[in-house]
Amino acid sequence: MASLPKRIIKETERLITDPVPGITAEPHDDNLRYFEVTVEGPVGSPYENGIFQLELYLPDDYPMEAPKVRFLTKIYHPNIDRLGRICLDVLKTNWSPALQIRTVLLSIQALLASPNPNDPLANDVAEDWIKDEEAAKQTAKKWSKLYATPKQ
Amino acid sequence: MKNTVEQQKSRFFKDELESSTDVSSSFNASLNNNESFLFRCPEPESVQEDTNKADAACNQVEDTPSPKVQFHTQIKEVIPDLDAGMVDTLYTKFKDSEDVLSKAISYYFEHGIIESKDEVVELQRLPSSSPSKDIFPTFSSEATPAKRKKTFGFRAEKKLKPSVLWKKFIGSLQVSAMATRPTLKPLKYGSEMHLVKSAGDASLHNLFDSRGRQKKKLSNHVRVVDAERNREVGKVPEETARILYPLLGTDEISFEATLVFCNNKRLSVGDGFVLQLDCFLASTIFDRKAKTPGTSSSQKSSTWGMNISISETDEELVWRFRTKALISLFNKIRIHPVENDEDAGHTNQDNEIIDLEDDESFENLMSQDSDPEADSHYENRTMNLNQLKTFYSVSQSFESQRSLPETDPPKDLLKVQLRAYQKQGLTWMLRREHEFDKANSNGSADEVIGDMMNPLWKKFSWPKDMSWEAQKLGQGLDTIPNFEYFYANLHTGEFSTKKPVLRSIIKGGILSDEMGLGKTISALSLVLMAPEDSQYQKKDLFRSETGDNLDSDIIEKPSEVPYASKTTLIVVPMSLLTQWNMEFNAVNNCSDKRCEVYYGGNVSSLKTLLTMTKNPPAVVLTTYGIVQNEWNKLLRDNKMRSKISESTGLFAVDFYRVIIDEGHTIRNRGTVTSKAIMDLRSRCRWVLTGTPIINRLDDLYSLVKFLDLEPWSQVGYWKTFISEPFENKNFKQAFDVVNAIMQPVVLRRTKDMKGADGKPLVVLPPKEITIEKLKLNNSQAAVYKYLLNKAEDSVKLGLARGDLLKKYSTILVHILRLRQICCDIELLGSQDENDEDLAEINRGFQENADIKAILNDVKQKKNSSKKSKEQIEESIINLHEKYPDNNSLTNLECSICTTEPIDPHKLILTDCGHPFCDKCILEYITYQKEKKLDVKCPICREMLDDTSGMFCLKGEVEQGEDFELTLFDNTKKPAKIEALVKGLQQLQDSSSGEQVIVFSQFSSYLDILERDLSNAFSAESSKIYKFDGRLSLKERSAVLADFQLKDFSKQKILLLSLKAGGVGLNLTCASRAYMMDPWWSPSMEDQAIDRLHRIGQTNSVKVVRFIIENSIEEKMLRIQERKRTIGEAMDADEDERRRRRIEEIKTLFE
Repeated sequence: MASLPKRIIKETERLITDPVPGITAEPHDDNLRYFEVTVEGPVGSPYENGIFQLELYLPDDYPMEAPKVRFLTKIYHPNIDRLGRICLDVLKTNWSPALQIRTVLLSIQALLASPNPNDPLANDVAEDWIKDEEAAKQTAKKWSKLYATPKQ
Repeated sequence: MKNTVEQQKSRFFKDELESSTDVSSSFNASLNNNESFLFRCPEPESVQEDTNKADAACNQVEDTPSPKVQFHTQIKEVIPDLDAGMVDTLYTKFKDSEDVLSKAISYYFEHGIIESKDEVVELQRLPSSSPSKDIFPTFSSEATPAKRKKTFGFRAEKKLKPSVLWKKFIGSLQVSAMATRPTLKPLKYGSEMHLVKSAGDASLHNLFDSRGRQKKKLSNHVRVVDAERNREVGKVPEETARILYPLLGTDEISFEATLVFCNNKRLSVGDGFVLQLDCFLASTIFDRKAKTPGTSSSQKSSTWGMNISISETDEELVWRFRTKALISLFNKIRIHPVENDEDAGHTNQDNEIIDLEDDESFENLMSQDSDPEADSHYENRTMNLNQLKTFYSVSQSFESQRSLPETDPPKDLLKVQLRAYQKQGLTWMLRREHEFDKANSNGSADEVIGDMMNPLWKKFSWPKDMSWEAQKLGQGLDTIPNFEYFYANLHTGEFSTKKPVLRSIIKGGILSDEMGLGKTISALSLVLMAPEDSQYQKKDLFRSETGDNLDSDIIEKPSEVPYASKTTLIVVPMSLLTQWNMEFNAVNNCSDKRCEVYYGGNVSSLKTLLTMTKNPPAVVLTTYGIVQNEWNKLLRDNKMRSKISESTGLFAVDFYRVIIDEGHTIRNRGTVTSKAIMDLRSRCRWVLTGTPIINRLDDLYSLVKFLDLEPWSQVGYWKTFISEPFENKNFKQAFDVVNAIMQPVVLRRTKDMKGADGKPLVVLPPKEITIEKLKLNNSQAAVYKYLLNKAEDSVKLGLARGDLLKKYSTILVHILRLRQICCDIELLGSQDENDEDLAEINRGFQENADIKAILNDVKQKKNSSKKSKEQIEESIINLHEKYPDNNSLTNLECSICTTEPIDPHKLILTDCGHPFCDKCILEYITYQKEKKLDVKCPICREMLDDTSGMFCLKGEVEQGEDFELTLFDNTKKPAKIEALVKGLQQLQDSSSGEQVIVFSQFSSYLDILERDLSNAFSAESSKIYKFDGRLSLKERSAVLADFQLKDFSKQKILLLSLKAGGVGLNLTCASRAYMMDPWWSPSMEDQAIDRLHRIGQTNSVKVVRFIIENSIEEKMLRIQERKRTIGEAMDADEDERRRRRIEEIKTLFE
């Protein structure tokens, strides 16, 4: 395995010892740059009570380059497409090496709380959202219950 | 006339028929003896004696004058320039004894000055009767006059011993002879001819000048005689005569000549006719030296050794010509040695009659040999790559290495497990020391050593008898015992029917395994297996019981120094001393064996320690330097007439064994070191070297001399058989001999050789060498450009004027400077006495001022940045507001690498007041620029104005003083250092415990690296070691020992100077290396890499070579590449080398 910069090790340790509430991130055993992530739906959002699986990968140029993050759990969200790809500025142009895994995941959680249909990735969802926000939120709630409810 | 044996035979017949008296037979003998005196084995007295006895006898028969007169004439014949007074003295002294003459002559030769003898007694042309060849086996003994030298002086035996028991055909030649006298009628086809040495002034001195070169044509001295009429008819061509002259008249080789063509005409003077010349070896030739075959050297050197004597004696001259003639003859009749037994059947089957005239090789052969004054250019002595390859390929196939049994040293001796080939090597080494009971041996001692043929001897198979006589009868006439082969040493002219077996006397040899195969451990296992002279111990015990004086197979040399029978002395280069000591302790498993380092006067009396104490150290380790010092001291002391026995050092004891590591150190026998090493005393001698030949074949000589490999250790032998043939471009002969000499004493294995199991001997983890191309930073580039222009001008000027090579050193200086800039500008001015080349050059470094100007210029450009002074001051005030005191700087975290706190030396504050590590923010800026993205502060996303808007601390922050800020100077570090720091940082991040080696050839560069690296890394994260020629032995070992300790919390970095650490060191603890600068010779780099990539290395080795793009370094790579493919320019002559050098310089500046 390629060498792991100190920063990654440090971040990983902190994610485990001092986790962000409602977020877990665990590195994969085989590849310490690959994280299995869960994000709880923010309270008060249509995603409340849902637990969403994500994957996060730190590219070789991290932290110069942003981590790659994707939803694994199906989600109804204007900025997240069917493949789980996320439209979020800090993952793209607004990335800064001062950001970290933790901050990225918090941004994603925040994105769930406040979808931005004006800068959509999933165009159909965004349209629905703009047309009828309530109905869209209901769909999102339904999807969350359907797909993001942890199996007991 | 027929050959001598024929003559003899016929004479013998006559003797028999006439029932000749002792007198007449000795008369005949005398003739032959006189004849063969020229070619005799060197027992001058007895020959003379015999000759004269015979002469005496003969004279008695003929005219019985008064005894004194008779004595006079007789002795004068033997010693012509003896003055009358001397003759009288001799006569009176011996007149009463039976054998006046012989005694007188013996006396003369024993006591008087040995006068050289010019005498060649004319061969009597006896009419010979029926020359039949097959009479010898039935030849009656009583009628045989002794001809052989062996029996000279033993008259009684002479008659009992038939001299020529048999003769056997070895080949035929066709010779075009020229008539010297007209014949009355055509010579009959098939008529028998005799070859006779003619009378005349054919004495040695008339034929050869003082240097042994031939003065006169020999063709006038070899005549063809019609056997029937006993009348001279012609002479043979010069070439043939040169062969025949020395051989005719000996009883060892006989010739039978038959007329095969004369155009069926009467011959006039000058007409040509053709003879078939059948050559036979007579049994006598095999008897001659049968008792001392091969290299029982002492005898040989005392006989015809072409050793130290400055000019050859006549005897030697004769012998030399005999030998040369034999070689020519063997070439002529195309009888070649049997290479191996399978070929034996085919080799000489179709022996044809060879026509001399068409063959020019003879001429070549003669001219080669007869020109000892050939210019011996140095070039001739150096070996080219192919020759070296040949040498090694032969030495690799030596013996049946693969089938050597393995000797596994017992666990209680050796802690480590040897590899299979090392076990084989151990067997070989033990055998070389005759420790057969310790070596795992499949065969007896005799099989192991005894089966080896003396290398100078060649095996020949007897060809089918194609002689005239045999053809006529339609069958072979051999009636001799059924020998299949005969053996000949064409170098000395000895023959044997039995296999000449080589019994090597010396104990020891050359372990020449390739680098990295573990010569050290092999040697140590030998030492531990056979730590002491078992023979000596036994004898000692026995002696103490019985008294003394029993015969043992060890011949005790009377030695004035005591014998340290339990100690091995190992001489190593200083840099390896510690390593050897460590290795010994690592492998030694018995507590009672220890290793003493003899260095720097730590042992007060070595002699006492080794010979007086109960348990002397098994190994004494010392360096070449110490040996040399003690030797020098001894030399001085000896001048002051003190005795060796009073000394206490290395030369005061006779060691059981001496091992010299990196044995090629002594290759130049003129050096003091070499001389000193030669003088060490020991019973067993070993040389360890991966490169027995550095560049000259003669490099081997010193090793041979050290091993005392008689007779080659005598410089005369070496010169005659190896140096001279080699210089005369007679490479095959030289190599044959060298291989023959080395074969039994050298063991060489290479890494890619396959073991018995078919697998390579050593499987090393892979090594990966990557070239990292770098760009010069601005200031480097500016200075580089400046110096490059200067260099190019100078080269162009040189090329234009054609005196490029006269300026070679100037150009080398230019090149060196360019190379230095590629590393660091600071190197330019450095004066480091350890880089002898640098010191010399920098003294004359004039351009300092210019370069300073250039550097300032670069800086100016840099600093004329967008910000005004006022802006900068304002920014600093702002920053001071944000960070009011020193404490505010202590807990800063770099948000890029998350390091906290940031090392104040590395702290960078952006204009917007955010803290980063210098290299993090620089990396970020570079990354963003590469991606063509905006450069913003990672924290506040404020646009960063390149690097010019950043600040760092000014100087050191002192306790109690406020910090000061200054504009961050982004003059980049030299490219290589930057890349190195980056590489090391990455390595630290991934695996902190990894040791790293950084090679450079400039030790002042190592200083710079040391400084910069310790600035770049904190003492917690890395430890830097430096190993170069300036370290003392103690420091060296301390550095290496500490470096090798694994510490997972720290990155250990060893800065290693190539000169100090390029060879021998074992650095397998590290698997990463950086080569800061390229070397001219690729093999030097390989050597350096092999410090890591050798046995014991468990990880894959990764080496990064830093090369500056578009610089002289890239061109050096190209030259390296070429060197790899064509080999070093050693094989080329001066012109060629000159051309290549110019070529190289052109490459560098194209």
